[in-house]
Amino acid sequence: MIKDKKAGFEELAHTADLEIRVWGKDLVSLFRQAAAGMIQLSGVEELEEGISSVQQNISIEAMDFEGLLILFLEELLYRLTEDYMVYEIQKLSVTNEYTLKAELKGAQIKSYQRDIKAVTYHNLNIRTTADGYEVNIVFDI
Amino acid sequence: MVSINDLNRINSYEWEIPQSFRADMRVPVRIFASEKLLKDVTRDKSLEQAVNACALPGLVGSVMVMPDMHQGYGFPIGGVAATKYPEGVISPGGIGYDINCGVRLLGSRLSYQEIKPYLDDLATALSQFCPSGVGKSGHLRLSASEVEDVCREGSRWAKKKGYASDQDLRRTEESGHIRGANPRYLSPRALKRGRNQVGSLGAGNHFIEIDLVSEIYDRQAAQVMGLREGDITLQIHCGSRGLGHQVCSDYVKSLQQAVHRYGIKLPDRSLVCAPLDSPEGEAYLSAMSCAANYAFANRQVLSHYAREAFESVLVGKVKDWHLYQIYDVAHNIGKIETHQIGGKLIKVCVHRKGATRAFGPGADDLPSEYKKIGQPVLVPGSMGTSSWVLCGTKEAMQRSLGSCCHGAGRVMSRTKAKKTIWGEDLRKQLENDGIIIRAGSMAGLAEEAPAAYKDVDAVVDTVINAGIATKVARLKPLVVIKG
Repeated sequence: MIKDKKAGFEELAHTADLEIRVWGKDLVSLFRQAAAGMIQLSGVEELEEGISSVQQNISIEAMDFEGLLILFLEELLYRLTEDYMVYEIQKLSVTNEYTLKAELKGAQIKSYQRDIKAVTYHNLNIRTTADGYEVNIVFDI
Repeated sequence: MVSINDLNRINSYEWEIPQSFRADMRVPVRIFASEKLLKDVTRDKSLEQAVNACALPGLVGSVMVMPDMHQGYGFPIGGVAATKYPEGVISPGGIGYDINCGVRLLGSRLSYQEIKPYLDDLATALSQFCPSGVGKSGHLRLSASEVEDVCREGSRWAKKKGYASDQDLRRTEESGHIRGANPRYLSPRALKRGRNQVGSLGAGNHFIEIDLVSEIYDRQAAQVMGLREGDITLQIHCGSRGLGHQVCSDYVKSLQQAVHRYGIKLPDRSLVCAPLDSPEGEAYLSAMSCAANYAFANRQVLSHYAREAFESVLVGKVKDWHLYQIYDVAHNIGKIETHQIGGKLIKVCVHRKGATRAFGPGADDLPSEYKKIGQPVLVPGSMGTSSWVLCGTKEAMQRSLGSCCHGAGRVMSRTKAKKTIWGEDLRKQLENDGIIIRAGSMAGLAEEAPAAYKDVDAVVDTVINAGIATKVARLKPLVVIKG
């Protein structure tokens, strides 16, 4: 768990799946924390050595912020499980027209500890709080 | 929250949440559970999720939940719901991300005494022959067009490639091949994810187990299935791997728009759906069938590897090491079936999410030998506990859409399981009980600890007492392979 009070994530107990609570001062920090939380849950251990990192840009559109968050996490999850790549998010923008643009720097990983099947829409609701935004995300495993 | 006071007691093993409980319910909820199991259930959100599922357009009968139910997303795990075909809806959330996750049971003529000295070697051979673990590929590398063949043909593809016998196919739900599976409804990502995973177990709660037939309850049915007390069997529990997960993710995404287009109001977005006769609904049904066929082929190829593993260890040591198919059944799937509902025969789409088909004697789609006794229902226990072989009943056809429980069902969160149970301690404890374990990860092992699950015997007793299945045999684990 990241100890920063303004932005962070924590794992909650869920009978069968995995759930995290994520918070951030704005949507960009919320999305960044959600990505960090998911990668931590998947148990990425070591980066592959000797392989230079790759720069990639992604751009996503959705019908609302929740949809945008899911598509963003699914994109990172696909790249993790299929390409064995994790990414540092160098730039991230989220617009009020529900579009997301990100500049990513990727690195190859050796292994990860847990198969996350999917990021679910279950009770997904981005809430505004006194300090910014908050959301609970359930991952199917 | 739904509390026990909101339930009407029908009898000791059946409960109802009436349609009047919430305004958006189109049908009631029917719960199969003993009072004790019901108390477990009210601790999580499974009943609330069952109530949410009652909002789906086109539902008939009632939304049912099995005694092994627990909280999922959208539908609860253990949920069964039928929508009228073709105007009702199909919902990916009522089927699950691991499409056609299911169980296969293979029998043998090997007695425990005969193979006892070789169990450790068999455990090692199984873990070598059958690829398992987080993100692990199988031995096969398929081209994109071969993945399409697997999706279209399921176990038939496996047979063409020499991985299956006629009997394997006959003794598989839908003969291992669901019609109407058109790979053009799969995304490039789904197809890509399918290329390396045919014949791989994966991780999580998936397993391969060598079991001992420890008790027989129905001699006739056991004889028809070839089960004898004291012999060993092999179980395989897995699904459609990354391809199936991708299909579900893709359609949960695309159906978000369909829900708006068709003006469907839902209490939870993970229940997104589309009418079965809409282009979106037809596309999902076909894509889901592709993933279901992929899963049938996956379990078939794994069975082939298990047979090779047995041969490699037992050749020259025992007379007959063949593993023959008893049955293979899905527990995360949507099926177009005809059922008697409210006195009328109705064509419906039965969503089974963590529920096993349990057709009674005489039902279509059963091989001739099982038409007399009813469909074998395979109920794996949690790790280290018994598994059960049951049979579907005529009553199940009338009261539970030919459906039954699928396992023990979780009660403890994975976080709590990991905090309270050490993987290494658990392994020692299981080995003290005479169970050989091969596991990819100790933390993964702890999450699947028996204490994190309900008592499978209590779950099975409930479905037996409710009349929706009969007991045939109890299986006791000897060797467990986990990813």
